[in-house]
Amino acid sequence: MSEVATVAIGWGLTFVVIATYSFWVVSRGRTIGRELGIGEVQQSGQEQESDLSTDT
Amino acid sequence: MPESMDDSKMTATPLTRVLGILGIVAGVLMAVLGLFISPPDVVQGEAVRMLYLHVPSIWIAYGSFVLTSISSLLFLVRSRRREDGGRHYDRIAGSAAEVGVVFTGLTLITGMLWGKVTWGTYWQWDARLTTTVLLFVTYLGYLALRRLPADPIVRGRRAAVMALISFINVPIVHYSVDWWRTLHQKASLSVGRRPEITGEMYWTLLYSALTVTIVGAWLIVHRYRVIRLEEIRDEENLKMLISSRRHERPTGSAADGEVS
Repeated sequence: MSEVATVAIGWGLTFVVIATYSFWVVSRGRTIGRELGIGEVQQSGQEQESDLSTDT
Repeated sequence: MPESMDDSKMTATPLTRVLGILGIVAGVLMAVLGLFISPPDVVQGEAVRMLYLHVPSIWIAYGSFVLTSISSLLFLVRSRRREDGGRHYDRIAGSAAEVGVVFTGLTLITGMLWGKVTWGTYWQWDARLTTTVLLFVTYLGYLALRRLPADPIVRGRRAAVMALISFINVPIVHYSVDWWRTLHQKASLSVGRRPEITGEMYWTLLYSALTVTIVGAWLIVHRYRVIRLEEIRDEENLKMLISSRRHERPTGSAADGEVS
């Protein structure tokens, strides 16, 4: 394996790992937020979207 | 809507959104700088580009484990005095440790790839590599301990003690290249020592460290909030379970009485 290919794999793996972990953390927050009723409040418009959102 | 709906149920605020977007933009710029603008090293060649990931990853891992230790210590000291049992500190410790483990894992992966190009092998049981993998495993054990079913305060105390014990390895990892003869090179940047790298490589490394710090901070904040959400959900589930048990009719004994 060439130097360039190894570097590309290293950078690619790093970005994939961080992106996957970030996605897992955000989606877990969203799922539990929905279980606790945060999503329902967003839909009914009782609170501002920026106050209750569980995404990035 | 549950009564306890408040800020603690969010995982995002305008500030963390800005931090998240900043992290993405900084990450793209870091890739451009590290992969295209920074020149190849005279000795290491293209492999030097791996150091822009490898070195900042272990720095943020060290920082996360320092945060875990300080929070664990505060949890142990203050847990008896606070109304919530100091669980705030326990959450900080847990979220920082998890992020630290992720970045230690990345340090190991990028280090192995760098080692393959530079040393000709993915792995050597030298002092730096061995202590780093030990660090990874001990903090994995810490995270496993946090998942054991127990009273939250008792579990928090056990985890805090383990966090403090695990932290002993952090300075050993860092100074292992000075204390023992190792295949691993000495620190590229160190306080009170002239930097081993200069020019564009130096600035790219510092910029990468800043980027990884932003991403790490964003992850710790979000993970903290997810832990808080998990606790609220578990508490509400427990309340519902207790409530449903209380309202259950004692059908078994009554029916037996009627039969006899």
